[in-house]
Amino acid sequence: MEISCLPISASHRAKLLSAGYTTLSSLSSVSPPQLSHLNVALQEAVDILKVSSESCRVEVQDGAVEFCKGAQTAWDMLSEEQALRHISTGSGDLDSILGGGIHCKEVTEIGGVPGIGKTQLGIQLAINVQIPYDFGGLGGKAIYIDTEGSFMAERAYQIAEASILDTFDNFGCQLKEIPEKLKAESFLANIFYFRICSYTEQIALINYLDQFLVEHKDVKIVIIDSVTFHFRQDFDDLALRTRVLGGMSQKLMNLAKKFSLSVVLMNQVTTKFTEGSFHLTLALGDSWSHSCTNRVILYWNGNDRYAYLDKSPYLRPASVHFSVTGKGIRDATSQCKRVRMM
Amino acid sequence: MASIPPKPENPLHLHTTKLTLGCPILDSFLGGGIPCGSITELVGESSAGKTQLCLQLLLSSLLPPSLGGLSSPSLYIYSEPPFPLRRLLRLSLPSLPPRPLDHIFVRPAHSADDLLSLLSHLPDSLPVRLIIIDSIAALFRSEFDNTPRDLKSRSSLFFKIATKLKDRARKLGAAVVVTNHVVDVVEAECGGARCLWSSGRRVVPALGLAWSHCVNTRVFLTRSEGMVRRSNGEECEVRTRRMHVVFSPCLPERSCEFAIVGHGVLGVG
Repeated sequence: MEISCLPISASHRAKLLSAGYTTLSSLSSVSPPQLSHLNVALQEAVDILKVSSESCRVEVQDGAVEFCKGAQTAWDMLSEEQALRHISTGSGDLDSILGGGIHCKEVTEIGGVPGIGKTQLGIQLAINVQIPYDFGGLGGKAIYIDTEGSFMAERAYQIAEASILDTFDNFGCQLKEIPEKLKAESFLANIFYFRICSYTEQIALINYLDQFLVEHKDVKIVIIDSVTFHFRQDFDDLALRTRVLGGMSQKLMNLAKKFSLSVVLMNQVTTKFTEGSFHLTLALGDSWSHSCTNRVILYWNGNDRYAYLDKSPYLRPASVHFSVTGKGIRDATSQCKRVRMM
Repeated sequence: MASIPPKPENPLHLHTTKLTLGCPILDSFLGGGIPCGSITELVGESSAGKTQLCLQLLLSSLLPPSLGGLSSPSLYIYSEPPFPLRRLLRLSLPSLPPRPLDHIFVRPAHSADDLLSLLSHLPDSLPVRLIIIDSIAALFRSEFDNTPRDLKSRSSLFFKIATKLKDRARKLGAAVVVTNHVVDVVEAECGGARCLWSSGRRVVPALGLAWSHCVNTRVFLTRSEGMVRRSNGEECEVRTRRMHVVFSPCLPERSCEFAIVGHGVLGVG
């Protein structure tokens, strides 16, 4: 049974979900003081846990064996997680601050100014998810939802070619003849590309993805580039926009969990006037910032591209220098690059 | 009514057509030319060459695809009257069809709302494959104050206009080119935009960060003046014009010199 079915308030639900509690079994061993760390009053935390344990007991037939149907031991969960590989971004340094790469079963938001490399990173991930299992990848397919029209097939082809060659190099392989499914053309054909022209189309497509993913179980990443574009017009009522975005992010999180894939959302940047000056901040408002499990911000430092891990359930914030090359996303080549822990 | 589920496309079948600029050096610099299906912004100070390039594109779109054209008429929307007819008449390209001016539609726009209404009412039967807006900045100059509410409504208009343009670009396989002005940068920090030097001033594109998110490709045209010592010992002033790719879905950041001569814009290799 999922947290989303619990009779608790929407804001509490959002806080639980964004902290990583998605199933009742994950709450079964949490104490009220632990839950109150999520900005929930202690009494409210006690109430939430009471509701969740009652919902558990309703389901169980044989109370002697399990407290809760679907409960796992922590060891089982750890092994399951280790079995889920991460999707490499193409840059070893960036992968390392992300704990190995982009995680499956989670929603990752990537924000930055125009030209910093969000689309490039999106295309790189759509290619890298396809690296075969034997070569350390997931061997999966990708869904690329393009709302801005920046996806260019020629660039995807260039990135695919380079990624395939680098993979062979890393494994010291010298294949005399590259098999069909390891050619750049196959990699391009494994990207399900959707071009979306309005926010209603975007919501309709996300609703449809559940059915699509049942038919295409080998999809391991869903990229939306950018999730923001169609939401920066037509919404005079910001409360409505927040509700629509909230519903959308809920569905995406559910898809990530249900199909064990990763969801990557590109976001734009806007200026916010606080404390007397303008600051750069990610678009879509404060409530959206709770919607994603992880957040990476790409920014310029002089003429260098940097990535900053801004939000993660279990990794420390850190920033790293990376570059966008003809081959795609790669480590920065300058000598003074280093990973900075905050 | 049952809704039709969206169908994914295969990127192998998505080829980006490019529109030639009429010069092989500039075409090669831009990876083949101006891409169709997305918005390309030409930004620069006055007399940087933006309008000149746009006029050249109006002609090159009439060329057959074998020569890098689109064999289609174009639409030129201008916001700073009058329409530069004399400059257009002076341009020439080889292999143009007869009576090229018959295939160029011209329309003034008086304000941002006027432009939005114009774009909403473009008949689908109009087969233009090049839409130029020269310039977008002039449409937003006077109407908006610096209050947060005005900035928000201005930014909402950017996205509405960009959506309509991208819609057309996608449906018709059209190239959309928008020109923009520059503003001086006063503070040490440029903020989200990276600035360039033109005529000795640090400048950034006008209309701010929100508009930057609306264009797919940004090309900056700059001018600089410097003294060069010639081989005979004389010092003379040299004006250089450069074209810079600031961001693009498929091109690295790079720059290229160009010149504006009587009959057109040419790259300098």
